[in-house]
Amino acid sequence: MKIARSKHFSQILLLLILLIMGVVLSFLSPYFLSWNNFYNILDQTSVDIILAMGMVFVIASGGIDLSIGSVLAYSGIMMAFAMKAGMAIPVAVALGISAGTVIGLCSGFLISCLRLNPLVTTLGFMSVARGLALILTKSSPIFGFPNAFKFLGSGRVGPVNVPILVALAIAVISFILLNKTKWGYYTLALGGNEEALRRAGVATHRYRASLYVFCALMAAIAGMITVARLNSADPLAGWMVETDAIAAVVLGGTSLSGGRGSILGAVLACLVLGMLDNGLILMAIPAYYQKLFCGLIIIIALVATELRNRKEHRNFV
Amino acid sequence: MKKKSLLVGLLVALSLFVLMGCGEKKDAADNKSGDVEAEDVVKNDAYTDLDRKILSALEPLPDKMEGVKIGVVFPTFSNPFYVAAKQGYEDAAASMGIKVDVVAGATEDDVEGQLNVFKTMLGKDYDAIIIVPITGMNLISGVVEANQKGIPIICSGTTLDKDAAAEAGAKIAAHMTYNFEEQGYVGAKYISKKIKAAGGEKAKVAVIEGLAGAFQGEGRRDGAIKAFKEEGMNIVSVQAGDWDRQKAYNIATNLIQANPDLKGICCANDTMALGVVEALKVAGKKDQVYVTGVDFLDEARQSLKAKELDGSVAMAPYITGKGNLTLALKVLQKHDISKQSYYSPIALITQENVNDYDDWK
Amino acid sequence: MGEKKKQPFLSVKDLKKSFGRVEALRGADLEVYPGETLAIVGDNGAGKTTLIKTLSGVISPDSGEIMIEGRAYQELNPRQALDLGISTVYQDLSLVNCRDIATNIFLGREPVRHKIFVDKRKMAAEAEEFLRQLDIKIPEIGVEAGQLSGGQRQGVAIARAIKFGGKLLIFDEPTAAMGVQESAAVLNLIRKLGQKGYAVILISHNMYEVFQLAKRVSVMRQGKVVATVSTGDVTPHDVVALITGAGEIAADIFS
Ligand SMILES: Nc1ncnc2c1ncn2[C@@H]1O[C@H](COP(=O)(O)OP(=O)(O)OP(=O)(O)O)[C@@H](O)[C@H]1O
Ligand SMILES: [Mg+2]
Repeated sequence: MKIARSKHFSQILLLLILLIMGVVLSFLSPYFLSWNNFYNILDQTSVDIILAMGMVFVIASGGIDLSIGSVLAYSGIMMAFAMKAGMAIPVAVALGISAGTVIGLCSGFLISCLRLNPLVTTLGFMSVARGLALILTKSSPIFGFPNAFKFLGSGRVGPVNVPILVALAIAVISFILLNKTKWGYYTLALGGNEEALRRAGVATHRYRASLYVFCALMAAIAGMITVARLNSADPLAGWMVETDAIAAVVLGGTSLSGGRGSILGAVLACLVLGMLDNGLILMAIPAYYQKLFCGLIIIIALVATELRNRKEHRNFV
Repeated sequence: MKKKSLLVGLLVALSLFVLMGCGEKKDAADNKSGDVEAEDVVKNDAYTDLDRKILSALEPLPDKMEGVKIGVVFPTFSNPFYVAAKQGYEDAAASMGIKVDVVAGATEDDVEGQLNVFKTMLGKDYDAIIIVPITGMNLISGVVEANQKGIPIICSGTTLDKDAAAEAGAKIAAHMTYNFEEQGYVGAKYISKKIKAAGGEKAKVAVIEGLAGAFQGEGRRDGAIKAFKEEGMNIVSVQAGDWDRQKAYNIATNLIQANPDLKGICCANDTMALGVVEALKVAGKKDQVYVTGVDFLDEARQSLKAKELDGSVAMAPYITGKGNLTLALKVLQKHDISKQSYYSPIALITQENVNDYDDWK
Repeated sequence: MGEKKKQPFLSVKDLKKSFGRVEALRGADLEVYPGETLAIVGDNGAGKTTLIKTLSGVISPDSGEIMIEGRAYQELNPRQALDLGISTVYQDLSLVNCRDIATNIFLGREPVRHKIFVDKRKMAAEAEEFLRQLDIKIPEIGVEAGQLSGGQRQGVAIARAIKFGGKLLIFDEPTAAMGVQESAAVLNLIRKLGQKGYAVILISHNMYEVFQLAKRVSVMRQGKVVATVSTGDVTPHDVVALITGAGEIAADIFS
């Protein structure tokens, strides 16, 4: 009862799902319950978490960004080209990340200043970035990078690897940005009531544009990790990752209509989806069932949240 | 022992099957599975050899026909495979003195887009059109339209769904198909031989197919399962990697977690196989697990040379263009081909023979 | 009439604004003097809200001029208007429903620590204290604005407008959603603000309110200010006549 009324219903629900899944999978598969396996789950989820962090902001502002998968691939390719051209690794990384971020800047500008619809605009940039990636590479992956760069994808710092650390750092920073800074406050206000924010004297279009830049930046960082981990910049990398990111963000309690956002929820949702994938593979359950289970979990969590929200509305209205 | 197993792989590899009589696919699969023992293995120039083979399979060769205009409809150009194939058509056309236009839809799953492209081509008076359908269904209505206009259609790669084509009254003038099952079979067979050569029996192996439900991936998966079973291997898991490197990477990590003594992973394409290799390297298990893919991407070549990937099954997209154009001319010159099936050639490339395939396209 | 010699705080000349084919303002003129309470009345759709939105920078006029403390502007943006001391309580879309009361009151002017972190605790404490001073009753400071009643929401919107002071406070039908007691409280508040020296523009359909609070009344009809009268010189009945246009003669007499 208390849980049902909590502000953090989605997150608590996800935590419960995570725990239940953990217990069930531990019984079903002898391989599940080990530090090594949890480490695997974290490692596999890290890119999803990074992508979801950008998406939380965009969705909480009432927008959406479908271009992240393509931006991921495009940034990775620019980075790869830069390294192949003999640039120093930090320079190449900076170049690749900026290239991706520029795409966010373009979509952000069009969405905020020209008031274009975010769904259609980012759909357009999804094609543009993917097209660029394919054209530039003539559709073949670029591969073979220096070890120092590969370190970003699989190198270890102490007991954990770089992707996990990056994901963790980005999650913490995102949490602070969303909940403790003006930027986060305005993100939520944009999603809740943009006109009220504008009337309060805030340059709303600048803030809205910055969200797409941030989201693209996250995609570009995810691109860097993907290339480094797989030692290959694939123009088709990140295919459909936007659907995973959106699912995780919404599952985590961020409202698709804007105004509400949860970083913690998105991270938990990524972990739930990651653990599910991991568990089903450990149990050697065939692909079709994986899709089925994944869909079911998403639907169950959404239904639970929706039912709870309705109840709350009845109480107040 | 070791050498022999290697050879068998190679052989199978070089099969272009021309089946006289009722050319059923099944026969083809059976045929190649065990008893193909070609000693005429390509030593240095695999490419020229396949070229010769595909042409001999197409005998009697058609006369030269200058100025003929042929259209080709691909699924997409966003895949290096089709980029190489396009080059193959264009080079072959130039050498044969005919005109060829190669077009494609947007992505590998845009079935309707490909149909639209195909229908547009029908309005541009080609003497014949070669199609590489995305699925067995999506181009059928276009084929019917082509039949009405009297444009002969040569179908390459995926075959049209028999029942649906019959119901719609769609007629194909000639087929040149890939045998996807064979591609999986060859890879898994090679993994098994390697395991056995190292003294392993009934070892644990796994299969990674493509997008669940995708035609080629399922064919390769079934072929791989068949080969593993024949060899008495213990298949612990069959997973869908969605053709995605990152997905395959994750799957491999999880597989090795669940089966620390895993010995082989047969993947439905190279992209996934390369993801698996990266995961195994991180897990420190590369030396224990044999990995094969399909496509022989440039990246796979490098990985083979670096002694990481163990094998890649190569189709010959470049050569196939020449074969298909020759087939089209045969159709235009009214050769009787009703009783023949043509298969595109494949080759198994391994760490040992990879240097022979440097100019492979 | 000593007042008239003073320079107006704000004056508007021949302001025009169309929304597509709807001409919301067809050349409106208005003057507001420092410290005075001016009422604007008019039928629904007369253009009152549009007029004050141009003053608060939410709408840019098509033509005309806005003069504030002697400086002329073609148009304003919300930030400029706020900086010039114009605070507004709007008729609609005033609060962000999914955010709490304190956040709404401080929207756009959040206090920060170390230049980055929004000081939530300070906001909550100050907002609570301020609402208490204004006698605006809310259940709890952490409640989301969307869960408040219409009157409570209006209270929060008013608190926000006056929290940061300014020189001119604009109220667009502030009591429309309120019960008797709350209305009285708000009117009282507005009166006190007037006494404190703020210039106030009050838009209202309620003649009783208008005559109680305002010294002067500007009457709008079809996008123009057709008359401005002193409440001391006319009766509510006369003003109603001006609103409906029933007595054009009356306008001549009183202007
Ligand atoms: N954003 C807008 N888009 C289109 N038309 C508008 C817009 N805002 C106002 N209008 C039109 O302008 C005219 C004046 O509207 P306004 O809101 O200024 O009237 P008002 O005097 O405030 O009325 P009320 O007493 O009902 O609040 C109306 O006809 C209205 O339909
Ligand atoms: Mg109004």
